[in-house]
Amino acid sequence: MTAAATRTGAARPAPPSRPPRRRRRRGEPWLDWMTLPALIVLAVVIAYPIVRTVIVSFYDYPLLMPSHEFIGARNYERLAADPVFWTSLRSTAVFTVASVVGGMLIGLALALVTERLRGPWQLLRGALLTPWAIPVIVVAFLFRFMFEERGGVVDAVLLRTHVTGSSVPWLTNGDWALASVIIANVWSQAPFFLLVFTAALAAVPGEVVEAARIDRAGTWTMITRIKLPFLRGAALVGALLMTIQNFNNFPLIWAMTEGGPAYSTTTLVVYVYRLAFTKYDLGYASAVGFVWLVLLLGIAVLFIRVLRGRTA
Amino acid sequence: MTPPSPRGRALPLLGRALAGALALNLLAAACGGGSDGESGGTTTIRFANWADAEPATQPGIRALIAKFEQTHPNIKIKSEPISFTDIEHQLILQTQSGNAPDVAELAGNYTFTVAETKALQPLDELAGPAYKQSIIPEVLKLGQVGGELIGAPWTVAPIGLWYNKKVLKDAGLDPAKPPATWTELLAAARTIHQKNPKTIAFGLDTTNRPYGLDTNWPIMKSFGAQPFQGSNPTADSPGMKAYLNFMREIAKNGYTPINQKAGFFRQPAASDQVAFTVDGPYVKGVVQDANKATDEQFYDTWGVAPLPTATGQHFSAPTDHQLVLFKDSKKHKAAWEFMKFLTTSPEGVDYILDAEGSLPPVRDLTGDGAKRLDNPIMKSFREAVIPKVARPEWGSNYAKAYSPIMSGIQATMTGSQPIDSVAANLQSTLKSEFG
Repeated sequence: MTAAATRTGAARPAPPSRPPRRRRRRGEPWLDWMTLPALIVLAVVIAYPIVRTVIVSFYDYPLLMPSHEFIGARNYERLAADPVFWTSLRSTAVFTVASVVGGMLIGLALALVTERLRGPWQLLRGALLTPWAIPVIVVAFLFRFMFEERGGVVDAVLLRTHVTGSSVPWLTNGDWALASVIIANVWSQAPFFLLVFTAALAAVPGEVVEAARIDRAGTWTMITRIKLPFLRGAALVGALLMTIQNFNNFPLIWAMTEGGPAYSTTTLVVYVYRLAFTKYDLGYASAVGFVWLVLLLGIAVLFIRVLRGRTA
Repeated sequence: MTPPSPRGRALPLLGRALAGALALNLLAAACGGGSDGESGGTTTIRFANWADAEPATQPGIRALIAKFEQTHPNIKIKSEPISFTDIEHQLILQTQSGNAPDVAELAGNYTFTVAETKALQPLDELAGPAYKQSIIPEVLKLGQVGGELIGAPWTVAPIGLWYNKKVLKDAGLDPAKPPATWTELLAAARTIHQKNPKTIAFGLDTTNRPYGLDTNWPIMKSFGAQPFQGSNPTADSPGMKAYLNFMREIAKNGYTPINQKAGFFRQPAASDQVAFTVDGPYVKGVVQDANKATDEQFYDTWGVAPLPTATGQHFSAPTDHQLVLFKDSKKHKAAWEFMKFLTTSPEGVDYILDAEGSLPPVRDLTGDGAKRLDNPIMKSFREAVIPKVARPEWGSNYAKAYSPIMSGIQATMTGSQPIDSVAANLQSTLKSEFG
């Protein structure tokens, strides 16, 4: 294979043909009754809460009072004018995008670096995976102590090495606090991407790599032109899973900052928790929760479309 | 042979599963019937509390319950441990679903939000005048809503200004004269911070939670401020602006770390790294646990005074725990016996002093209990701090307001927005919160 062929993407895997859709035979029931128990469970644990949330979002529903009043779309009007909602939405987007992109880049770099480890050196890959095995709540407290303004290890190192002249208000300044929770999250999630990319790299056909080597492709060309195209599918799936997980990441933020200072690290999930369980305003909490769900569904649909488009 | 259709197989399976579930239900009902109620002359009381969920108080509360069951053989206590953070919404949800316990431990705003569900039983009739007279009057008032007693005072813990005499002396300040005004406190904090910037000059809870607002409420009051009264926001006032200026000053000068819980300051306090901290009587137990100081050493190092003031009037806030009885309980008399035992018996008083590190609610203690209150810390709390206690505007509005208020305070401490605009923003946010 020539270098030109490599550049034009000839090394990409051939797209798998879509399996033919099976036609229903005459007399065959439209629903397999064996799926009924699963459908009932799904209806009870997923469909009912969603429908109920949508209904409650049209009510003034304070949990402390016995009576609840139908108020139409007033909770949604309130949401549109609520600055805390928009701040939370912005923080959710920043937290999610930065965590996914940061985790993915670090995971990719680690996967490429550790790809050729052989023998006992492979243990290193196992060691790199340990942050993923640590419970999120432990990660939160670990980083909370590390970012402590007085006596925290991060500040101590920065001050001793003269990188900073004074303590950095990691958790007590709005911008730094958001950066701190993102750093903790990236540390915790990068190993997931390491795992995903390591598996994807193992699936790159040896003959393609061999052909590129014969064509004297350099390391950079090998990574960008040969390996990365094979990793796109894995990256998309990983990004989708992590986007959903980070959209819902409550324990890390709650344990590190409780959404503060001010509302600087309040994401939608933290805001919904506060509305539902400290203000007992279930109607408004449901409206925010429903918007949050729609956003998440939108992202999932987008990802799936991109993924399908690639497969087709 | 033709295999049976999926439908043919599924229906008998479904029938069998339903029959099985029904049989299991009947079996469970037969075995479990009456286990919670009065059976065989024994009354079982369900007691929801966080004392049994925390390692520091768990052995004490279990021993106290065992003692009660020993002296009251016809009453069994079924403790239901729930963490402090969860107990309020757990009880509200239990109440809404008709599954409330008989007795529960509550504190601060929690008592008042649960009371708003109308699920709590007024205790006046059960308690009688003799019980009420035996309780410190200021403390008894804290459990009253609309003139009715709904929370029996259990542990009494007003917040005061703890000061470390060693730190003050090292900074060249008079350890016998704690600051009486906020201006004096700022001056002392400046001196201490200049002498040793690593010392926390002023420990103050500024977290965005009801407890954070409870701690700051008496400070606001001492500046002549109150962010709201009933459903009326009053945050855009000169007093509130003076308070916010004070908060900005302590943050910008590095006297206090922001967004920290009161508990954060207790460990450094044990190693003399805190000069002043706003906290309840339980600090003593935590500090002594950490540094193993004897009582005498502790009293030589630490003192307690009422919170300083800017207007001449001093205030404190209660962090007391109360016991409540639910209306739906069918065992009011037995439940009250248990509540009375926890709050006023000699064993209950010992538990409050030893495990909770708080003051007992009993007005005239005699014997061992009285002796144990005869020390400078407990005397300061009983004589100088308790009379300054002012109950915050607890209730559902407090639950709505604490987050915007504490968030506004945090924004003041971390940002540079003009104080006038912070106060105006807070006023409009509270207005929209209260509808």
